[in-house]
Amino acid sequence: MLIRRERLWLTLSVVLVYAFLLLPIVVVVVSALNAGAYLRFPPEGISLRWFAAFARSRSFTRSLAFSVELATIVTIVTTVLGTMASLWLFRSVARFRDLLRVLLISPLAVPGIVTGIALLIFFFAVGWRHTGLLGLIIGHSLISLPYVFLITSAVLARFDRTLEEAARNLGADQLTTFRRVTLPLIKGGIISGAIFAFVASYDEFNISLLLSGVGATPLPIQLFDYLRFSFDPTAAAAGTISIVLALVVVLVTQRLVGLESLYLGGG
Amino acid sequence: MPAAIEVVGVRTAPRASGQALLIAPALCLMLIFFVLPYVNLLLISFFTQSHQAPYVRVLTVANYERLARDPFTWGVVWRTLWLGAITTVISLVLSYPVAYHLARAPRRWKGLLMILVVSPLLVGVLIRTYGWIILLQDTGLINQMLQGLGMKRLPLMYNQTGALIGLVHVFIPFMVLSLTGSIQGIDPELEMEARSLGAGAWRTFWRVTFPLSLPGVAAGTILVFVLAISSYVIPSLLGGFTVLTVPILVVRTITELFNWPGGSAFAILFFAITLALVWLYLRVLSRITRPVV
Repeated sequence: MLIRRERLWLTLSVVLVYAFLLLPIVVVVVSALNAGAYLRFPPEGISLRWFAAFARSRSFTRSLAFSVELATIVTIVTTVLGTMASLWLFRSVARFRDLLRVLLISPLAVPGIVTGIALLIFFFAVGWRHTGLLGLIIGHSLISLPYVFLITSAVLARFDRTLEEAARNLGADQLTTFRRVTLPLIKGGIISGAIFAFVASYDEFNISLLLSGVGATPLPIQLFDYLRFSFDPTAAAAGTISIVLALVVVLVTQRLVGLESLYLGGG
Repeated sequence: MPAAIEVVGVRTAPRASGQALLIAPALCLMLIFFVLPYVNLLLISFFTQSHQAPYVRVLTVANYERLARDPFTWGVVWRTLWLGAITTVISLVLSYPVAYHLARAPRRWKGLLMILVVSPLLVGVLIRTYGWIILLQDTGLINQMLQGLGMKRLPLMYNQTGALIGLVHVFIPFMVLSLTGSIQGIDPELEMEARSLGAGAWRTFWRVTFPLSLPGVAAGTILVFVLAISSYVIPSLLGGFTVLTVPILVVRTITELFNWPGGSAFAILFFAITLALVWLYLRVLSRITRPVV
């Protein structure tokens, strides 16, 4: 309960924090559209030359294509595995069900860089030297799977199981029940889980840093190598493409499940 | 393990005998490519270092002894934990008003506010860090503005300040999401009653709102602390060579020095220290809150 003057202070501080949150993102977009090589005030006019420079750069376009390919495969794999796992855990009454749940989300709780190191050493120890795309698919799946699992589980928690039973009682077999009753009702959760899986893989850095190799360089690693030596706005153009992707994701998720389901802990 | 699951699955859900197959693929992925590599990492941290190969399969505790005796190691560990602690405190202070505002916002505003909080999370860390580079570098926007105002340039990047700004920015959304749920659970009537009994806004906050939101504060601070001390990109790009943290040193030991046992031991040691700190923190927190909740 706040009186008006206090409410004004609260709103003011909240606005400042939101501005802080959005500032670097806005700066990247402005700098990608800016004509000059350095961002100055006032800007030197709008131009698409940095997007053109991005399109001309073989290493950038190749790593963008590689990232999209990698994220697509990871999304398909983890969406199927994660949805199956959450369906099983939703129905199961096994005693170690909580343990399995913790195991499935634990890759988010441990440092990604340590997971990357552990995987790199493990691949070497079993004699697999040139891991390339497949190694990255495995590594990224560890990170994307928990997102799919968490989101589809959240949707399933709201799902009314008597609907499934009704379908079974009316003579539908297991597969038909799943296809005609369960799937349409949890479709939103599966789609937003898949979207998060895609973004998690597309943005993944730690695991890629250790597992990327010749001909297998995702965009974030390419950007990291680039930003160590040069700050020119070609990187901003690459960033802007990713920002547009993120914006689409947020809007679609809000439409399908509502972002409130993302509150963590203590709820 | 999969056999055990099948038995339970069959007994509890007799209609769906093949259901254990649903969890089997995900479980296999996690056991083979997550649990096993970590067990392997633990094992290698006890292997002997060598100049000819990444390691020699002779068990030893020398890696841990060497780490424990090296003051350089403890310096890096201490600085990493300190950076994590400051990041956590600043994130908490900046996130609390946002979370409170979000929790008490009218329904029709909530969607928009959630978009503002979540969208930075979905823009890759690298891109946000690039945004900070444009702002903070010596010829960056902030220093241009300072010069325009006739002031001296500030060293904002390639030092601890730069790393701190980047880290706080990345972790505010996590903190807000952790806090909002538990603030939303507090009945606004309680605050109103405290006010009507004569408590000021400040006193009401410290005696009613904050203690009741402690579960969210605990979750948020632990999450942010653990993520901050294991962050690699931000300290290396915004901190430059002056900010040396444990993750940077571990990666360097493994990929540049090819000292796998030493690097693994350092990673495991740091992991253990982190777990111990989180455990201690939770103990302290539960002792403080017991009289209140």
